[in-house]
Amino acid sequence: MEALAISLVNAVPLLAGVPLWTVTLLLMVAVAAVILVFALTFEGVGSLVLRKVAGDIQARIGPNRVGPNGMLQFLADGVKLVLKEDIIPANADRLLFKLAPYFVFVGSFAAFVVVPFGVGLIAADLNIGIYYVMAVTSLVVIGVLLAGWASNNKWALLGGMRAAAQIVSYEIPVGMALIPAVLIAGSLSLQDIVRSQGGLLGIFGWNLFHNPFTFFSFFLYFTAAQAETNQTPFDLPEAESELVSGYNVEYSGIRFGLFFLAEFGDMFIVAALATACFLGGWNVPFFHVGTLPWIWGNLLSLGVFLTKAFAMVLIMMWVRWTLPRLRVDQLMRMSWKYLVPLTFVNLLGVSLWLLVFRGKGIPGMIASLFG
Amino acid sequence: METVLFILFGAIAVCGAIMVVTRKHPMASALYLILTLFAVAALFVLRQAHFLAAIQVIIYAGAVVVLFIFVIMLINVPEDRLPVERATTMRVLGVLAAGFFILESAVLARRFWMPIGPVAEVGTVEAVGRALFTDYLLAFEITSVLLLAAVIGAIALAKRKI
Amino acid sequence: MFLGNLASLRYFLPEFAVTATILLLVVLHVVTKSPRSTASGFLSLLGVGAAIFLAGVAPAGAGRSIFEGMVAHDGFAVFFKVLTALATLVVIFMSMDSRDLAGRSQAEYYIFLLSTLLGMFLLSSATDIVMLYLALELVSIPSYLLAGYLKGQERSTEAAMKYVVYGATASGVMIYGFSILFGLTGSTQVAEIGRSLAAGKATLPMLLASVMVAVGFGYKIAAVPFHMWSPDVYEGAPTPATAFFSVGPKAAGFAVLVRFYYTVFAAADPGTGLWRLTSAVDWPFLFAALSALTMTVGNLVAVKQSNVKRLLAYSSIAHAGYMLMGFVLLSSAGIEAILFYLVVYLFMNLGAFYVVVLVSNATRGEEISDFTGLGSRAPFAAVALSIFLFALTGIPPFSGFIGKVYLFAEVIHRGVYWLAVVAALNSVVSLYYYTRIVRAMFFEEPKDASAIPVPAVSGALLVLLVAPTLILGVYWEPVARIAADSVRMLAF
Repeated sequence: MEALAISLVNAVPLLAGVPLWTVTLLLMVAVAAVILVFALTFEGVGSLVLRKVAGDIQARIGPNRVGPNGMLQFLADGVKLVLKEDIIPANADRLLFKLAPYFVFVGSFAAFVVVPFGVGLIAADLNIGIYYVMAVTSLVVIGVLLAGWASNNKWALLGGMRAAAQIVSYEIPVGMALIPAVLIAGSLSLQDIVRSQGGLLGIFGWNLFHNPFTFFSFFLYFTAAQAETNQTPFDLPEAESELVSGYNVEYSGIRFGLFFLAEFGDMFIVAALATACFLGGWNVPFFHVGTLPWIWGNLLSLGVFLTKAFAMVLIMMWVRWTLPRLRVDQLMRMSWKYLVPLTFVNLLGVSLWLLVFRGKGIPGMIASLFG
Repeated sequence: METVLFILFGAIAVCGAIMVVTRKHPMASALYLILTLFAVAALFVLRQAHFLAAIQVIIYAGAVVVLFIFVIMLINVPEDRLPVERATTMRVLGVLAAGFFILESAVLARRFWMPIGPVAEVGTVEAVGRALFTDYLLAFEITSVLLLAAVIGAIALAKRKI
Repeated sequence: MFLGNLASLRYFLPEFAVTATILLLVVLHVVTKSPRSTASGFLSLLGVGAAIFLAGVAPAGAGRSIFEGMVAHDGFAVFFKVLTALATLVVIFMSMDSRDLAGRSQAEYYIFLLSTLLGMFLLSSATDIVMLYLALELVSIPSYLLAGYLKGQERSTEAAMKYVVYGATASGVMIYGFSILFGLTGSTQVAEIGRSLAAGKATLPMLLASVMVAVGFGYKIAAVPFHMWSPDVYEGAPTPATAFFSVGPKAAGFAVLVRFYYTVFAAADPGTGLWRLTSAVDWPFLFAALSALTMTVGNLVAVKQSNVKRLLAYSSIAHAGYMLMGFVLLSSAGIEAILFYLVVYLFMNLGAFYVVVLVSNATRGEEISDFTGLGSRAPFAAVALSIFLFALTGIPPFSGFIGKVYLFAEVIHRGVYWLAVVAALNSVVSLYYYTRIVRAMFFEEPKDASAIPVPAVSGALLVLLVAPTLILGVYWEPVARIAADSVRMLAF
């Protein structure tokens, strides 16, 4: 960020008098704001799309009153959430009750910082990118637990417990399923991982097609990540038919809104990580983005990245409205008895593959056959 | 800049730690523990040990404290039944001893004061991995035996019928 | 200087045997699905036997630092490996016919026992504070589980709980001490830390560190004032486990205590068999005070006990006090005396506990009143117990006497007369409470005079425990020589 600030100061003579740290700070705030705006927009539009998809799948129309085809529904919803009365139950632990939504929202939003939107479009290319995502999302668990506990409500408590157990359990397969991408790139940085998937006509460089194990790995990741973010069919913490609405049952107004936004934020993070680690990230097929001028290259790669990510989000919504929910013991069994061992075996497979074939994937080998 | 941040996060960590032991409600203690752990992670980041910081947050804040909170929630002691701390002789002595100890540490710190200089690569993924699989390989493997025993123990104690 | 990881494997065979047995036990438990069978007991016996063989058969030579300096393979380590494995072997025998454990799943019990054994192996050979801490935890955590193994019995659960709380606190303080040492020297190697400390003069931090580390080790050997856990744990735990705690972890605790303090805070004077302090911190005096305190508290409190297990718990605290005498002398003869005493103590203490197991199997109680008339109900067991108790007191011609002679002789030789006086007075006190049990067995009328059957196998094991107690009282030369050899290789 400081390097960017220096180049900015050099480029704009007006800024010469301003101390460097001020520029850096302002830049940080600006970048954070841009990401926040993106996240909020995505979350708003996402909620609308979710309802439209739900409508389609359930053979009904979905929201169609506000604006053309109900397109502005999410704005109306947002206004409603903000204006609604904020109720705190009488016996709730007031401080924790207020604190919990922030934990959840910050945990989900902070992960956006390392999402590689384009060639140069990343807020902070941390050298531990993937671990950073896992670290900040662990805040979500704490927030969810607190929400459940502070509400002083049976359903909320049960929901919070379930959510925490689920997130902690599924964190392991998620991490293990992502490691193959790290092994291939030799780096934890998401930018490096995306870069390692360039070349080979753009599509065959993807980690998805690198070898059979990475192909498998993608599906393991996607399944486990769905569960980690409490999406249907793993949405037991909310399970409206048994737990009313789970850990957020006592929340209303903007506090509920924060949970709601965080849920969509998580959805996008899952999709973005899947895209970056397995689907080639911002790499444009048949084309080398680096050769374009900075602005066009970034715009193009941003478009490609978002297309892939949104496609993943749509698949998640599709899954969400078609599959029935698991039972809580089935859920835990699935993680510990199936996903965890499978991801470990898979990781071993990928490591062996990389060892035996010196890091070359199947498409790479085929390509080298034809020179 | 770095020194300021170091002092800031160090102070947060220390204050958080003090709050952990002085809060009456276990839930509050657990939350302050999280704060302390995050502050320590921030200190790691200041020393360029990003990997350690991430691991610190994932393992401690994300898993260990979550388990603590779990247990606190399951036991769920009502507010009025929390034990009341009374100032007994032993407690007073304990506080005095702690004060003495802090004094000693301060003397220590003064004598071994070291400026925050450039750091060797100790907290990177590579450095940690290398240390773990060469010098500390035996310790690493023995940990697995320890965890195995602990897992079996947890099941043996918790399961009603084996 | 250090052997690499692969080259070290051939010096690590006893540990492999134990680890393999642990894994086999897990598999056996899963495959057979008959957890109450005795198969797991026999398998553990085999594994520990193999470990003893592998540890004893490989000569340590001049000693070497293996696994990149993590652990040492020297005579000292081998001595303690054989010793702790022997204790484990006896305890496995005891467990196999203990009423406490009958009707419970056995496999887990042996897994914890063997994990502790592995921890003790490593604890007695660790030369790196990371390894040392891990080994200590590997001894402690399965021990907690052993203490709480009698699920549903309040006393057992209480024992485990107290053990955990004390253990966690002690190891927390200890690792804080380690962190100070690491901060001072920048090394996790015990030998390296010792060298750095000898070079610099950092008295205050060293005092802090030595005291904090002493908490951790003192807890493991149950020295006063870190002994509070031990009577409750000993009383609540299954009796074989109690026997195990009173010998195994204690021996390993002494091993690590000697190795750590004699490497970090002292340096050997070549040729003289003496050590000198490398700093102004007078830790030998600190430990001498602890020693006197430990034996006095242990003995005085034991006098008032009516539960035999509890009494033996306090007596074992007192014995730790006696052995600490050898530790503070800064001479190889002192350490030698500890090693010899540990061997003697192993047989007499395990023997005493074994008779308690046999009696409580029949009478379902461990009070002194349950032992009344044992002389007529089970004469053999009663005689054996008397021998063990007299040996524990230190009366000739039993082995305990020789052990004490070695300790006292070296204490007087090094001129710490006050400690010798305290110890002698303590021995007198101990005579009182040990003979109380003997009196109950032979001179008091039992409530129920029916004979207590002692199975042939148990009788045989009892003989095997009595024999060394008697023999070492008259012919101790070989064991004393082994102990002396083991000390010589300690310094490196």
